[in-house]
Amino acid sequence: MPDSLVQFEGVTRRFGDLVAVDNASLDIRAGEVLAILGENGAGKSTLMKMLYGLYPASAGEILIHDAPDKINGPADAMRAGIGMVFQHFSLLPALSVRDNLLLSWPRTPFWKSRRNTDTADVLATLAELAPHIDPDCPVGSLSVGEQQLVELCKVLNIDARLVILDEPTSVLTPDEAERLHGFIKQLAGRGVAVALITHKLADVEACADRIVVMRRGRVVDIAERGARSITETVALMMGQSVERKLQRPPVLEKIVPRLVLENLSARRPEMALQNVSLSIAAGEIVGVAGVAGNGQALLAEVVAGVEPLTGGDVLLDGVSIARHNPYDAVATPLGYIPEQPRDNGVVGTMTLARNLALRELAQGNRPPVTGRDLLFRFNVNPPDPMKTAGTLSGGNIQKLVSARELGGQRQAVLACYPTMGLDLAAIEMVYAAMFAQAAAGAAVLWISEDLDDLLAGCHRIAVMREGQLVALLDNSSTLTREVVGAHMIGLTETEAAA
Amino acid sequence: MSTRLLSASAPFILTVLVFLALAIALFIGLGQPPLQTLAALVQFAVGDSYSLSQTLAKTGPILLCALAAAVPGRLGLISVGAEGQLHAGAIAGTAIVLLAPTWPAPVLLPLMLLCAAAGGALYGYVPGLLRARLDVNETIVTLLMNYVSVLLVAALVFGPWRDPASQGWPATMQFPPAAVLPALPGSRIHLGLLLGVIAALALHVYFNHSRWADKVRILAGNRKVGETFGLSFGFWVIVLMSVGGALAGLAGISEVSAIQGRLQQSISLGYGLTGFLVSWLSRHQPLIILPVSLCVGGLVAGSDALQMFAKVPAASAVILQGLLFAAALAVPGLLARWRNAS
Amino acid sequence: MSTELIAILASWGIATLRSATPLIFATLGETLVQRVGIINLGTEGEMLLGACVGFAVGVATGNPWLGLTAGALAGATLSLLHAGLVLGAGANQIGSGLAVWMIALGATSYVGRTLVGQQVTPLPALGTDWTDGIPIIGEVLSQMTLAAPLALLAVIFAAWWLNQTRPGLHWKAVGESALVAAENGIRPTRVRVTAIMVGGLLAGFGGAILSVDYTQTWAQEMTKGRGLVAVGLVIVARWKPALVLPVCLLFGLTEVATLRLQSAGFELSPHLLGTAPYLVVLAVLVASHIFARRASAMPADLKAVFQ
Repeated sequence: MPDSLVQFEGVTRRFGDLVAVDNASLDIRAGEVLAILGENGAGKSTLMKMLYGLYPASAGEILIHDAPDKINGPADAMRAGIGMVFQHFSLLPALSVRDNLLLSWPRTPFWKSRRNTDTADVLATLAELAPHIDPDCPVGSLSVGEQQLVELCKVLNIDARLVILDEPTSVLTPDEAERLHGFIKQLAGRGVAVALITHKLADVEACADRIVVMRRGRVVDIAERGARSITETVALMMGQSVERKLQRPPVLEKIVPRLVLENLSARRPEMALQNVSLSIAAGEIVGVAGVAGNGQALLAEVVAGVEPLTGGDVLLDGVSIARHNPYDAVATPLGYIPEQPRDNGVVGTMTLARNLALRELAQGNRPPVTGRDLLFRFNVNPPDPMKTAGTLSGGNIQKLVSARELGGQRQAVLACYPTMGLDLAAIEMVYAAMFAQAAAGAAVLWISEDLDDLLAGCHRIAVMREGQLVALLDNSSTLTREVVGAHMIGLTETEAAA
Repeated sequence: MSTRLLSASAPFILTVLVFLALAIALFIGLGQPPLQTLAALVQFAVGDSYSLSQTLAKTGPILLCALAAAVPGRLGLISVGAEGQLHAGAIAGTAIVLLAPTWPAPVLLPLMLLCAAAGGALYGYVPGLLRARLDVNETIVTLLMNYVSVLLVAALVFGPWRDPASQGWPATMQFPPAAVLPALPGSRIHLGLLLGVIAALALHVYFNHSRWADKVRILAGNRKVGETFGLSFGFWVIVLMSVGGALAGLAGISEVSAIQGRLQQSISLGYGLTGFLVSWLSRHQPLIILPVSLCVGGLVAGSDALQMFAKVPAASAVILQGLLFAAALAVPGLLARWRNAS
Repeated sequence: MSTELIAILASWGIATLRSATPLIFATLGETLVQRVGIINLGTEGEMLLGACVGFAVGVATGNPWLGLTAGALAGATLSLLHAGLVLGAGANQIGSGLAVWMIALGATSYVGRTLVGQQVTPLPALGTDWTDGIPIIGEVLSQMTLAAPLALLAVIFAAWWLNQTRPGLHWKAVGESALVAAENGIRPTRVRVTAIMVGGLLAGFGGAILSVDYTQTWAQEMTKGRGLVAVGLVIVARWKPALVLPVCLLFGLTEVATLRLQSAGFELSPHLLGTAPYLVVLAVLVASHIFARRASAMPADLKAVFQ
């Protein structure tokens, strides 16, 4: 076998009862881009984190060429020439770019004074890759794309033989993603092995040499580039041929404004929302597109009345529903699916039944008795109302919150990434429930990262950038991904076309 | 079923065993015969009716101070301010007695208790307000405020409130009989203990079986979710801190009125910190606080008596409490670690 | 006239510095501990034990330096209990700190019984025969011991350590996120144990300075909450070693002012005056929350503990 750098032999990893990686065998070779493709929860990240020393294997072996020592932690992995770029970067936002780079640099001297020439080398890669980044500004003030570049510099600084990239394009604009693809190919050209964890076929098509497909912890296929058609690959990934069939919503007969955002402003330490205005009619579905971290989360929390606003108002059928000062909380009348529902949508220490009845319990009312039906309707597993919510998996918590928020008819719905972590059948079910709300007259505001889904299901698409609504596009048949993407990164349409 | 019960109670049993081992080690270190000393401790805690009455006299303030920590604890707050609230309550309750010493008991007693509760509540309200409005850590504020009200008591009994008839001893005048909490004849068991028991039962019902029980539980479990559904964290911080303060204030006036008979320094044997320990051991559950304060009350009373009859220093009561605390903190975590490893 | 004024200022300055010195050590130690993401309320206990052991050894050996060393070591040893409970058993940090405090409270009141009323050899004054002749400076040096300059050096060293060295960078990283630090090849537990011990060492040393150098007596519970004040002042100093100095001096100034007001025959209860240092600390704590954005300076991993 030529230049096999890393070999996985029958590697298994269990977390309690869950088998995250099941008897996986594969190899990674020098100078190749190996794509590890799979849905959320297929075990891709876990497999690579084991290689990086973050989790020990429950069974099986990971052999690394020229590295006789066992890898017991990231420090060992780095010494063996393995670097990893995490999905949520391993950067410290409060520290400067320079300090972040020095953190994992093997040649950082004991006394790292600011102007010490010993530490000039650590910035060399940065100067080459991203000369516009000031090494003395805190990482937290950089954009997500810039942070990823810093993270890459860190990995390159340790002279890695193998670079693991965990879903690197999920936070990038289409334009930035393209640049990254080019850079990955360049790395492989220098003889570095690249392991690219992704769930996007676009990444695979752009730069993979070999493709490993994982499903439910197992390696189901390893093939050279071009050996499989796209439909074959998708079928391997999904395991079943479910075609997503989002129906374009019916054209509204009359426009009756229902949920109105008037000049919303709000401030958080890291993000400010400026003069966001939007009127959503009864029965209308408005999507919000944007690169992650451009104020979508803050917008959602202001509209839901969780975060106080500093200016403007949110009106539902003419009545203000916003939180105007930080001391009085308001109960949101919206059907509200927050992002990261484990943190923002459930009380982990309480039962499923109580979590379904949070609205009533918070008002001091008796809970309704519809719990078990809702759990079955939204396919929450296990459908046991007395189970504690914190014990559920991420996908089931997402379904639980959907059940509570979409289970009864609402005047308006606010959904943030409502299908995160769900399998295809569950995605269909959540979309069906959301669209049914609109069909029955609810105004729906839908924040998503998936442009294709937004294009398939919305009446209009609003684009957010740097805390502002920069575009509001009618979703006619001529609207394309590229046009929306251009607005996301601040290009005009003519620039995008060029 | 029995194995489940066993595994659920394993941390508790093990904590007690570890604590006993530490206590034995302490007695050996002090040069005392460990088992005899331990036996004497139990004897002095519950051995006869006098010992029992001493234990119950200590249980009263410990119980109230434990509830004072448990009420904010239900929301996840860590208030260590019972000592200061106890002194604030003592000051406020004494003030009304000094103002109107001639009023009849049916008026004076309730008024005294009410003022003490209000004084304690105010002393809990301040850190509550600071936490709610400015996000100032309530643990640090309550700890620092403790020193202030203890000094205020000293300032008052050395200064304006000193009874000229007390011949230099820094204390107020003796409380009139109308201002002395009724006690069981011939014992030191007084109304304060009864108030504590009633409060514990009421809080148990409120936090577990009332219509409003889930409000605090939701906010404690996930503040953001609570605020999504209209529950104000700040409001509940202020309410629970004040209620806790009021309970500790009652402990303060009970000690002054029923035990000391007048306001003077050292009305508390560190009841605030002891109460915090009890609340922590009971996981802020009022029904569990009841028996635990009795046990810890026995520990305090027992080691108090040991000091007089055996050569065990008074300080051992505090050390024993500290060791109990350390054991309770260490055992569950180590047990979980050991279970995960095997 | 002006020399008189300078002399008064110098005398206040020295008194303030001397009164603040024990607190500077403790606050500095707590700052370092909090920078790695741990809060240690046991600082009060570590100071108390340091004061007690330091005084006992100072009395027994007649050598104040041995006393200070012993106090520091006692503080570091006690801090291991906090480290073990928090890092070994995953115990709640606030609870663990209080347990440490309680144990030290009981232990010192037992050990300290025999120390009450004892005499300790004080640290020698900095002044020598030939500096005595110099106006003001000679006066200043004759009232000072090496303790205060050591405190200043410790502050400078801690600031240098955190901002200029590789291990210091690792400490800061662990405080920002133990998880991310681990991903970068740092072992957070090792860093945290070290920092907690350094914190205990400094707290114990500060306590020993209090009993051996500043008051030169032992009294039960003599730290009177200085260790808890230190925890509050860390927030006011925004987790920066350099700012520890001014905030501790403010505490020292308050204490000196109350003492001098009393000796000047000011008609106010000494107990009432005694509340002033606590009230001042509470006031600056509240003020720092009003005027400064806390979130920006606080080590991120501390937020989970501090809620």
